Amino acid sequence: MKDSAKSVTPLAASSIPCTINGHEASLNVPPAKRLLHVLRDDLAMTGAKRSCEIGRCGACMVMVDGVPVNSCLTMAYQCSGKSITTIEGVSAQAGGIDPIQRAFLEEGGFQCGYCTPGMIISVKALLDHNPDPTSLEIEEALSGNICRCTGYGGIKRAVQKAIEWRKEAYESESIRD
Amino acid sequence: MAANAQGVAEAPFVWHPATAEEAWQLKATLGAEGVFTAGGTLLRTQWESGLAAMPNHLIDIGAIQELHGPRTDSEIGTVCFGAMTTLSEIRTSPLVNASFPLLTEAARSIAAPSIRNLATIGGNVLSIVGDSIPALLVYDPVLHWHDGSSGLEESLSEWLSTAAVHPVWKERLLLSVALTPPTLNSNTKRFVAYHKVGRRDAFTPSVVTAAFSIQLDSDNRLGDVRLALGGGQTIPHRLETVEQFLTGKPADKKTITEVYSMILEHYEPKGDAFVPVSYRKKAAANLIASELWKAAK
Repeated sequence: MKDSAKSVTPLAASSIPCTINGHEASLNVPPAKRLLHVLRDDLAMTGAKRSCEIGRCGACMVMVDGVPVNSCLTMAYQCSGKSITTIEGVSAQAGGIDPIQRAFLEEGGFQCGYCTPGMIISVKALLDHNPDPTSLEIEEALSGNICRCTGYGGIKRAVQKAIEWRKEAYESESIRD
Repeated sequence: MAANAQGVAEAPFVWHPATAEEAWQLKATLGAEGVFTAGGTLLRTQWESGLAAMPNHLIDIGAIQELHGPRTDSEIGTVCFGAMTTLSEIRTSPLVNASFPLLTEAARSIAAPSIRNLATIGGNVLSIVGDSIPALLVYDPVLHWHDGSSGLEESLSEWLSTAAVHPVWKERLLLSVALTPPTLNSNTKRFVAYHKVGRRDAFTPSVVTAAFSIQLDSDNRLGDVRLALGGGQTIPHRLETVEQFLTGKPADKKTITEVYSMILEHYEPKGDAFVPVSYRKKAAANLIASELWKAAK
């Protein structure tokens, strides 16, 4: 191997530092292992669901540095130095239940519930960046999440309700300040 | 070179070169055992479908700073997209939307936001049939490669013409894709359109992907015609014969009728078990005719 290549060493299995739901972690896993399997099998965080495993369904969605990614496509080494938020972290941040989760419950945004964690992650990522999205922006943001039960009507209502509640919460906080 | 229990399929070594030269040297040393990886989204689907085996070595190019983000040459307006530029960066960049609106629209139609947050323009181009390619072709793109010597430049069209049959490029590292925005002549209007037609909006190979850019002068004559087609397994390309025919012609019913026939004659898509060649030709001809019709109105 030439000198310039010799200076590079492959990533060791135990050296993947990251933050998961606000807690620092060091992942002792093969570097190309899927994040989905790291979460579910190594860390017993089963909120992200295993389904298509090729990035088509969105059931395994998590946020990495605040943007949604399919954890079935993300390899462990790609999380080095990053902040990962799973559906378990969304609940904890909100002290039990996030307004987005409540909106899905109240508007019938789920039936079997398998796609719901991924849906909620995508909606949270959208609203954290864009609190007042248009219908087209909502559809684009959820275009990687497939639901085979609801027909999407309840999901769209849930997103609209979550937008409304977040606006009300923001206005209430502004008045208090 | 060190070895450990992970250096086997399903648990490959992952290398993180800091420079293009280091990456190229690794590839030269590892040969077919090593594969460059950026977002890794296409590789993962290839591994899952059995189209490719997971290699023993992944060469992650994510740490190479020069491969990241768009850079503008303010003198000539050329924008250089580092190969690691994600499709999400392209989708949301005001700079891209202002200068290369077809690329913005193409990025919107590729997969979903969660995949576009990982997937890169370099990966989409190197797939040879990516849906960004028809949009890129409209802007006379130039590929910059690191080949271990002084670097290599070639037009995207030139590379596409041989990429599928001469995979020598797999030994090189794609650094960037450079685009130049079209200039607008005085007293003209530009019309652009990008269409991706398929059974679903995303996640299925398109029947036709079309990118279209024309200028219309005050006499309703066409100029600076740029027309690229692809979709499915068709390698995207410009339809130069049709472009030449349209240049200087009036945008009227006669011209549009003739162009429709020309596309049926000259466009050679690749069919499959689901969508035959004849249907793809007709879809492409309809798309281009309808866009010309809109411009002519």
